[in-house]
Amino acid sequence: MTMSPQTTTHMGTAASVALQPEPPVKGRRPRKTRERISKHLMANRTAYLMIAPMVILLGIFVWWPLMYSFYLSTFEISFYEDPVFVGLQFYQYVLEDPQFWRSIGIGAMYVLYTVPAIMTIAFLMASFIRTCGVKLAGLLKTTVYIPTVVSAVVASIVFIFMYRADGGIINWLLGFVGLGPFAFLSDPNLALPAISIPGIWLAFGITTLIMLAGMYDIPQSYYEAAQLEGANYVQRTFFITIPLMKNVLLYLLVTATIAGMQQFELPLIMTQGGPTNATMTPNLFIFNTFKDPTPYATSFSLTAALILFFVLGTISVLIFRLIRSDKAIDA
Amino acid sequence: MNTSTGRRVATYVLAALIVLSTMLPLAWMLISGFKGKSEVVKTPFQFFPEIWIWQNYVDILRDPAFVQAMIMTFIGAVIFTLLSLTVNSFAAYAFARLDFRFKRLWWIYCITPMFIPGMAILLTSFVVVSNLGMLNTLAVLIIPGVAAAAQMFFIRQFYLNTPIAIEEAALIDGASRWRIFWEIFIPQSQGVFVVVGVGSYLAYWNAYVWPILTIQDPGLQQIMQYLAGFRSERGNEWGLLMAGSTLAALPTIILVLIFQRYIVNGVRLAGMK
Repeated sequence: MTMSPQTTTHMGTAASVALQPEPPVKGRRPRKTRERISKHLMANRTAYLMIAPMVILLGIFVWWPLMYSFYLSTFEISFYEDPVFVGLQFYQYVLEDPQFWRSIGIGAMYVLYTVPAIMTIAFLMASFIRTCGVKLAGLLKTTVYIPTVVSAVVASIVFIFMYRADGGIINWLLGFVGLGPFAFLSDPNLALPAISIPGIWLAFGITTLIMLAGMYDIPQSYYEAAQLEGANYVQRTFFITIPLMKNVLLYLLVTATIAGMQQFELPLIMTQGGPTNATMTPNLFIFNTFKDPTPYATSFSLTAALILFFVLGTISVLIFRLIRSDKAIDA
Repeated sequence: MNTSTGRRVATYVLAALIVLSTMLPLAWMLISGFKGKSEVVKTPFQFFPEIWIWQNYVDILRDPAFVQAMIMTFIGAVIFTLLSLTVNSFAAYAFARLDFRFKRLWWIYCITPMFIPGMAILLTSFVVVSNLGMLNTLAVLIIPGVAAAAQMFFIRQFYLNTPIAIEEAALIDGASRWRIFWEIFIPQSQGVFVVVGVGSYLAYWNAYVWPILTIQDPGLQQIMQYLAGFRSERGNEWGLLMAGSTLAALPTIILVLIFQRYIVNGVRLAGMK
């Protein structure tokens, strides 16, 4: 979640707009209007003044650090000599590092624990809320949204407390079915599933709301027709809801997977990556390496961050292209 | 009749279950804050305290570091939100309504950061702000995150859907761009500003990693930094910690409750289809 102020994390909504195709100004308006507008809207000076603050700030705090990351990943820096260009050597080091791969594996496991659960819970809840009356639906929408705004720090602390052996509510509840007590956070086999639970809790609410928005867009008449034909809930879900929400679901799946691969604050606070590195997610691995003050470690961790960025970025761009081109065909 | 009553009951039971399970961690955090020092980790387990005591809440509010962290974070978050709305809505207006040279290029420049994950620039951002001498200032918490591509995109999306007729009339009457922006766009933007503003506020309030990297000065400590520090230094005082966590989470939850209608609509505003 919130790593630096640059990430507008909780606003899954804001990120979701990325889906929107390029400015409708161009295509959708009738040609004549467009020409008229573009002529009288030509306003270079005002426009530059208006975008200037954003351009400058992004330049200093996003583009410059990004370029700097690339620079550090291809040069070997030392305290005594001039930087030496080493090409892709750091990339090779990272890709040959078993700890890096182990952290990727742990990130993937975390995704496996959280994403299907988030998607299923959110889908079921959204389906249910859709059938509720206006008032009840309003209450439920607000309720499920609340965990989304709780910080990862507070969630971590509360769940550490809930996982305790003495006085921990989870062990108490498991006691009723004759299980436990478990030392969730210090057992290497249980630690990762244990940090997945707050991960799910933090993310399912916004996912539910976005799915619900998608469901509301499906015309009610489709369901009425299906009901007349005698289709039951399962059939309606598989033949109407899911196919018509394909893009929303795909979008949520991709963003949840990418966010899951980058999970960082929960293991940082709950387990510090332990026990025996069982919760050392990729970003935590990168962050810990960076804290090692040698220039080698700095370049190494930056390179690892960039590799992750390339891979995840490529995946998301490809999938969003897919969604978009699909949309174009629909329209 | 009978089946519909049954359905209604089932609906309410299910709804109650959803509310309870969603709120359980928060409720338990709140309740644990009311337990005494030994009771909070007592075996056998007890959900509710035997005696409800306010002591933890009083004690944490008497800790000057906690109060200062809350106040500093609040001040920072308000400034951050206002600056962020200003910068991003200016750019959003220009991209939605004005034509200018290299618009396409500037658009790519301003929107790509949305796809750059925090970690790819977190570490070098730290190097940049320390070279700029910004460490341990309020500015380092606020300025780097002000320009946010996602926020700008969201506001612009709203402006694109704003009818152009009023604006054209104003232009013919000789109003300047700035006047149009202030007098026509800003008043209409309430809803979208609330959604984006709440988002900025939450991002600032809940930030943890950026503050621990850039702030060592205890006078500028942020609330999440304080809580995590408390947890690692005085981790056995669970009652106090739960009371502190409750108070730290409260402002964000209240904010959501106040603006719930805007936010729930905001998800639809995002135009997800």
